[in-house]
Amino acid sequence: MADKIKLFVNGVEVEVESGKNLIDAIGAVGIEIPHLCYHPALGADGNCRMCLVGIEDGRPPLVPACKTPAQEGLKVLLDAEHIKKIQHDVMEFELINHPIDCPVCDQAGECKLQDYYMSYDQVDSRMTVPQVTKGKKMDFGAGVVHDQERCVVCGRCVRFCRQITKTGELGIINRTDDARVNIFPGRPLNNRYALNVVDLCPVGAMTSKDFRFKQRVWFLKKAPGICHGCAKGCNITIEHNREKYKDDVIYRFRPRKNDQVNGYFICDAGRLSYKAENEGRLTEARLSNKAIPVDEILTAASKEIERAEKTAVIVSPNCSLEQMIAVKALAEKLGASLSGFSDGYIKSGDGDDFLIQDDKAANRTGLTLLGIDSSKQGFEAAVQGAKLLINFDNDLGLSYEEGALKKLLQGIKIIAITSHDTDCVKMAEMAIPVASYSEYAGSVINCDNILQTFGKAVTKNNDLADICAIAAGLGSPLASPEERFSALQECIGALKDLEPDQIPAKGLKLNDSEAANVTV
Amino acid sequence: MEVKILSAKFDIKDAHKIKVAKKHGAYSTLDKLFSMPPEDVIELVKESGLRGRGGAGFPSGVKWSFLPKDTGKPVYLAVNSDESEPATFKDRYILVKDPHMMIEGIIICSYAIGSHDTYIYIRGEYTTQVKALQAAIDEAYAAGYLGDKVGGHDYTVNVTVHRGAGAYVCGEETALLESIEGKKGQPRSKPPFPAVAGLYGCPTIINNVQSIASLPFILENGAEAYKAYGTEKSAGTHLFGISGHVEKPGMYELPLGLPLLEVIDKVAGGVWKGRKLKGVIPGGSSTPVLLPEEAKTVTLDYESMAAHKTMFGSGGIVVLDETVDIVQLVKNLIDFYHHESCGQCTPCREGLGWMLKIIKKILSGDGTMVDLNLLRELCDNIELKTVCVLSAACTMPVRSYLDKFRHEFEAYVANNDSSAAEAK
Amino acid sequence: MSDRSQLISTGTPFQFDKERDAEFERLIKRYPTRESMILPALWLIQEQEGWISQEAMAYAADRIGTFASKVYEAATFYTMYNLHPMGKNHICICRTLSCWLRGKQEIVDYLNNEIGIKPGEISEDGKYSLEEVECLGHCGTAPVVQVNGEFHENMDVDKLKSLLATLK
Repeated sequence: MADKIKLFVNGVEVEVESGKNLIDAIGAVGIEIPHLCYHPALGADGNCRMCLVGIEDGRPPLVPACKTPAQEGLKVLLDAEHIKKIQHDVMEFELINHPIDCPVCDQAGECKLQDYYMSYDQVDSRMTVPQVTKGKKMDFGAGVVHDQERCVVCGRCVRFCRQITKTGELGIINRTDDARVNIFPGRPLNNRYALNVVDLCPVGAMTSKDFRFKQRVWFLKKAPGICHGCAKGCNITIEHNREKYKDDVIYRFRPRKNDQVNGYFICDAGRLSYKAENEGRLTEARLSNKAIPVDEILTAASKEIERAEKTAVIVSPNCSLEQMIAVKALAEKLGASLSGFSDGYIKSGDGDDFLIQDDKAANRTGLTLLGIDSSKQGFEAAVQGAKLLINFDNDLGLSYEEGALKKLLQGIKIIAITSHDTDCVKMAEMAIPVASYSEYAGSVINCDNILQTFGKAVTKNNDLADICAIAAGLGSPLASPEERFSALQECIGALKDLEPDQIPAKGLKLNDSEAANVTV
Repeated sequence: MEVKILSAKFDIKDAHKIKVAKKHGAYSTLDKLFSMPPEDVIELVKESGLRGRGGAGFPSGVKWSFLPKDTGKPVYLAVNSDESEPATFKDRYILVKDPHMMIEGIIICSYAIGSHDTYIYIRGEYTTQVKALQAAIDEAYAAGYLGDKVGGHDYTVNVTVHRGAGAYVCGEETALLESIEGKKGQPRSKPPFPAVAGLYGCPTIINNVQSIASLPFILENGAEAYKAYGTEKSAGTHLFGISGHVEKPGMYELPLGLPLLEVIDKVAGGVWKGRKLKGVIPGGSSTPVLLPEEAKTVTLDYESMAAHKTMFGSGGIVVLDETVDIVQLVKNLIDFYHHESCGQCTPCREGLGWMLKIIKKILSGDGTMVDLNLLRELCDNIELKTVCVLSAACTMPVRSYLDKFRHEFEAYVANNDSSAAEAK
Repeated sequence: MSDRSQLISTGTPFQFDKERDAEFERLIKRYPTRESMILPALWLIQEQEGWISQEAMAYAADRIGTFASKVYEAATFYTMYNLHPMGKNHICICRTLSCWLRGKQEIVDYLNNEIGIKPGEISEDGKYSLEEVECLGHCGTAPVVQVNGEFHENMDVDKLKSLLATLK
């Protein structure tokens, strides 16, 4: 915990953390200093001049807050007349050449110029001479579209590509009011985090080709979530909306700050993985390739389970801890072998030294901590001589070639309990649709042993049950959330003394030895 | 009135060649230099009262004493030969006519501040000058005055010439450093100051060519000899440039403190073509203009200029005769500053462009009183809110023209109906 | 200033000639960072070719080991770098303050009438290109004109006529 110091803002004493700049220090106690070019992940640049504050008895008396460290006794002036005038004047300069694109600009509703105009300006334009014109709708690659006229030349996007991804595709060329962001011809944006510049851009100069014109942001409901694209478990905001007469659909994922996990950013693949939540879903129960109501299929499945002499169960490494423990209890009750075999989810060499992991599964650590065997031999031994395989959302098509999979599972009836209608599901005798991760609450443990919980974000018109409910419906003894949590507490020491609502919002770091301490 | 301290060798044939220069005393201070502790050299320069001759007038010895000691990092010297301030044309004489005086100054400064690497930033347009400079540097290396064992003493000084490529803003010390580092010349926020974190993040001193070239005289003859010229607070001599509407424009070395109008008349032959004086720009285009009445009591030193609400600047005096259209002049100036703005910070980048468009509108005949008042207001709104003082270099003089020659501007907007509806 | 974003592609890769290559290697030793070579490298390219193409910029970036965007920034920021071929004789006329006061416009107008080019243009036969530039630091001998890098001071229309006659 950093030291606390006392300084004054508008004559009122506040306690702030030392070692921070004024924007962060004073922002942490709820007082906003407007700024465009500063970003905590990128550092201060000092070019927008929006964060200029007065320092009483200061030399100099006017400083950019982003470059001024919080000091004991500093007397910061924010509401003083002359500071208000400066904020107004800077806004005027930002707006004189700014195109009034709001009606067609994606940023409307989350635009710093709009917000600051309302807070610090609210005056008609005095611009009676022609505006500077620049390029619009420029394809920068990687799904990023740039509008040079809207750009406030804050440099955040340039600094992101140079400091964070170290790929340096962007630059600010020319000087004076001809200055504009551009890529070098023939060298477009080409890194796996490029779309972060769309979030970083305080205005609508950087927009996402994918999101362009799809939805007005004030209609979007924003729910916190965890990306399931790989084992990093980046924190995201799931932004969704149900338009009139339509279904609740996700329009985009955006990163959510978590210093322990992903910082401020997410990768492009994870960002765009919202599409997989909307598409390719299994929406109806199927028996022998014919649609049947869900409760009927549960009955049919139970009958199959009773009939089968030997049953094997496989679970997905993407399942939540709650789902995994419910499935484990079910397998034990049925006397079935349980496997978490999912080698195909690992793409060796694909990970990088920033966020992207080789392992595209969100909760493999959960399998380990719950003592679920994930070896190939284990799985193949489990299905050897089995008559029934209950597959809880594990896409075996990733781990096996189609031919090899068919051979392995020859003569075995398959009940596929799944969110997505993959090829492997089409092989199944019975298919039961379940909720995907944006539609249920749960917990996952990431590659750094951080346990994170997430709530239900999306409620579809046809709101599907999740794997916990289906497992219970098939006979799992852990039928309630309380029972499941208790069972988890047996396996994961760090949960022993916690209530479910006491798990920290930013994640619970498990000991590294925890992972080694497998309690079966 | 003219003196020959800095320009002592300017009229000597081939004084730019090391053989001739040495005959007239070049590099003769080195033995004395290396026998003194570096701190004493700094004290000497402080004593002499030498002030930065690039335009800011900051006491050079004091600037050197800001260097932190024992940082473990190399100390750099950057020599500012950007000379892009309109009406300034002095440093290039040193580069062409007596470059060894400057090289000797570099050695003196390097030793005093503990630096072994100097970068001379020279503006790209100075093609003949950079050739002359490089030739002199090559001669100095060959003669053992640069490199390891300078002048036979156990000290290394290396000099690299770095060419600019057309940016006035690189005359600003931190923009100059950015340019040497390979970037756009966009000034840095201060603090940190270059003395603490300058070139490549290391302690750096930046001095103007003329300031550096003044050092051999000071070392040779002592602080008192330098203070014998000029005034109490503005010691020494300066290479003044007098241009514009005078009979004999040119570069003249004068002690500081002489009366401005007397200099214009006696040294530069007075206003040309028998015309009347309309105004004087005292120290480069960035300095507020003086009306003839005001100019009567001005002397060419920092204090007098400040008292008259203008600046000594680079000593580039421009004389305006009665035929000058002040509004056109202001447009010429705004055009320059707008063109040279680095584009980094909002008020300068957007504001100067706006000012240019407004004055063009006024000149076209479409301007109104509202436009004129806006132009005046923008001077206040832009100034001091920016990262560097290029914006002030525009707004300070423009404000002075708008205030002192208001009637000329009003004449341009008088014919527009909107002026009747003008509220202010 | 106007927009200098549009780079011209020659369609062929660029390389330093022997002399420039040696000079590059000599200069790079004078700086502690490779990036410091961006401005010197651009000058070497311009000395060799007379202007800087898209390929030449990419070459400089790769040779130095820096981002092409950084070279692009410097090349467009500093206005002396020619980003397109110029005329055989490049004429720069100072347009600021003292040169303006002492009659630079007559010279500009004369060139417009005589050669038919305005500032920013290249003559049809490619013999001349004309540029108005900011203060060249020769105010005491204004108006000043710089042709192919050489300064011509105290210019007037007559002197300009004689000067043009000497240009090949």
